[in-house]
Amino acid sequence: MIALRDVSFGYAGTERPALSRVNLDFLPGEFSLVCGATGSGKSTLLRILNGLAPHFTGGSLSGSLVIDGIDVTGSKPHELAAQVGFVNQQPESSFVSDTVKQELVYGMEQLGFNRDKMSDSLKQVAELLDIEELLDRPLSWLSGGQQQRVAIASALAAGQKILLLDEPTSALDPEAAAEIVGVLKSLAHEHGITVILVEHRIERVIELVDSVVIVANDGLVTKGGYEQFENYHLVPPVIGLSTELSWNPVTVSVSAAKANWERGPQQWKQLVNENLSKTVAMEVNDLSVSYDGLDAVSKVSFEVHAGEVVALMGKNGSGKSSVLWAIQGGGKRSSGSVKTQFGDPKSLSADERLCVLTLVPQKAADLLFLNSLADELSESDKFAQLTDSGTSKIFESLTGRLDPKIHPRDLSAGQQLALVLALQLVKGAGILLLDEPTRGLDYAAKRSLAKQIRALRKEGKSVLVASHDVEFVALVADRVLELESGKMISDKLTTVALGIGSSHPTQISQITGQPGLLTLSQVEKVQK
Amino acid sequence: MAKRFTASTASPLTWWLFAVTMAIVAGVSQNAMIQILICAAALFAILIFREEAPWSRSVKFYLFLAGFVVIARVLFRIVFNIQNPEDTTAIDLPGFSINLGFGPPVELFGAVGIQALTGGATDGLRLAAIILSIGMASSLANPRALLKSTPSALYEIASAISVAINLAPQMISSLQRVQKARSLRGRSKGLGSMAGTVIPVLEDAIDSSLSLAASMDSRGFGRRGSLSKPLVLGARLSSLMAVGALSVGSFALLVGQTQTLGWVLIAIGIVSSFASIRINSKSQIRTRFEPMKLQFFDALILSLSALLLIAAILGWFA
Repeated sequence: MIALRDVSFGYAGTERPALSRVNLDFLPGEFSLVCGATGSGKSTLLRILNGLAPHFTGGSLSGSLVIDGIDVTGSKPHELAAQVGFVNQQPESSFVSDTVKQELVYGMEQLGFNRDKMSDSLKQVAELLDIEELLDRPLSWLSGGQQQRVAIASALAAGQKILLLDEPTSALDPEAAAEIVGVLKSLAHEHGITVILVEHRIERVIELVDSVVIVANDGLVTKGGYEQFENYHLVPPVIGLSTELSWNPVTVSVSAAKANWERGPQQWKQLVNENLSKTVAMEVNDLSVSYDGLDAVSKVSFEVHAGEVVALMGKNGSGKSSVLWAIQGGGKRSSGSVKTQFGDPKSLSADERLCVLTLVPQKAADLLFLNSLADELSESDKFAQLTDSGTSKIFESLTGRLDPKIHPRDLSAGQQLALVLALQLVKGAGILLLDEPTRGLDYAAKRSLAKQIRALRKEGKSVLVASHDVEFVALVADRVLELESGKMISDKLTTVALGIGSSHPTQISQITGQPGLLTLSQVEKVQK
Repeated sequence: MAKRFTASTASPLTWWLFAVTMAIVAGVSQNAMIQILICAAALFAILIFREEAPWSRSVKFYLFLAGFVVIARVLFRIVFNIQNPEDTTAIDLPGFSINLGFGPPVELFGAVGIQALTGGATDGLRLAAIILSIGMASSLANPRALLKSTPSALYEIASAISVAINLAPQMISSLQRVQKARSLRGRSKGLGSMAGTVIPVLEDAIDSSLSLAASMDSRGFGRRGSLSKPLVLGARLSSLMAVGALSVGSFALLVGQTQTLGWVLIAIGIVSSFASIRINSKSQIRTRFEPMKLQFFDALILSLSALLLIAAILGWFA
């Protein structure tokens, strides 16, 4: 269906090619996963397949691209629109219309379909993605999962046989993500559509895909099966477990791993429940937030102890961000109070708040504004009236030394996050609020963030982290609070909340079925 | 009135045409009353027809800009005061004269005349009226719907316009997000904060406009059938001519000294834009699922625009 021959791609001004001499073939009806570290050429690879690279991204392309037997090298995206459908990371930013129906026919209008054909295809594609009852709704009313379905439907409405998706589940909660991945699989296997997907969270798709393409940082690309993961470090827990215990061949599915686990006696250690400090760092009482009369958060109360990491989980739109901003004081708060050592943050000035607590928003890079790492660090020292470059000490303890001349926007997402953490913690805030910190991070970056959070915890800082990343929460949190439509529905220890028998067990809990066994680090390695 | 008219009752194209007409009237007119009327009409339209949408939040910024322009114009006249003996003095300020070391000394302040003040205010109001007219269109017209109704004949230009038009509303929504985020760093004042706000906002706005343009292109926007080489050349030449004539023409009108030339150029511009669209639409393959119908409301606004334009050409607003 698709053949890439000797394709190389480089961006202007960089020496290292994003992709070098790539040779790939995709069959009709193949469901393929493209993975690689953040900043590797995986999104570029996807964009080459429909002409967005180089036509929208800049850069230079060599080699040839053949789709359906026709050489289409150098074609523009609109010239490939009848064959290839493309779905962006954030569907809401790519919608062109107001209602679902208009959005679905948009592509067909551009391709010159007549009205009868449009209404036939509209019906078919709506049925295929199960969005028939949404057709007359405004796009802005849809949930994240529904938006993603509409985006997929409109990419396929004109009968495209190839579907490209760039991290379609990154903004979705686990349930919605699983649904979308299921839809993609049936599109490939039942309807013969070639589905190529770039995804960070390999565990969400790995069991369903037919093939895996790995894009390395040096631009080399390999395609094959799961065996590729054997020497690969950016892997989900199930594959990690498989390599730790030297299972051969590599196990990617939870059910296969379960069978393997049961076969041999395995060693693992209980999580040590470190003694929690009795000091309450923060007390949230009856916190409510409403926007235009609609309750986003209603009467949420909880405590966070000194040196405790608490996770705030819940679906998209359940009020996690609203809770964080309301606690911090910069966001809206309709009623309720927050008690800290220095009083309610709402009654403090923005400057004073930084001595008590600090919030790192979803897009951490919004807080960076100077032209080099060194400038950011020294401005921060000046602001906090430090003379001993305290900010860079914190930064280095989080992420190690980096070239001070580097522009903050050239740092990786993980390094940016560490920098923002350092800048925000320099005034000695004891409470840290994090909003979805793992969005856009690969496994290595997530593990290093988890390490940073554990280190802060050890210093006695309290952390409240909003996330729907189950595996990440299992790595960092002591306790899990769950929100549903703005109400708190549970407050449990992490081992209970994410353990076997809970509604969101981690992969390791699912495989081992052992209460109290949540993460890979608890399992003892087996030597080959 | 059985159904309330709102911004989306009319096509976005209608709003923009209306806004451009109002801006032309404001540009041609030397009369402060007319400028004030236009400002009022634009604000009135925004208040009456506005819907809750991301792009409708830009009003405040346009209003601020308009107010700033008027005040700046009047202040300029007071500070860099050119003495006119025939003018009646309104405010008598002590005058300064600064010798820069080269050229004649610069005269500052002094007795400010009524004519100087009203002249400054009228100049400022003219710009304010133009700004508010554009503000009206951009807060009433859904930028994406506008993009959808752009003829694909204008593809090359339309892609660029799509990025540009979406930039303003996008920038405002990113601005709100970045300001909120920036408040977390506890330092919202000072020059550094300007750069700190502008960079992420611009980056965001451009990214998202590009991503919209990329998404449209991926779905076939800009596709057309084949045209013979001379026709392609003709189409390009006529669109170039249209853009050139229209911009030089409106400039001439705004400057106000070469009125006839301005109108002639605008006429040429209009004719060549029609020619360009005509040639290009020979290769048009786009179809419509629900054809756009000219609503009564559109017709109303468009005829009002036409009347205003005719009146402006006849010089009624001078």
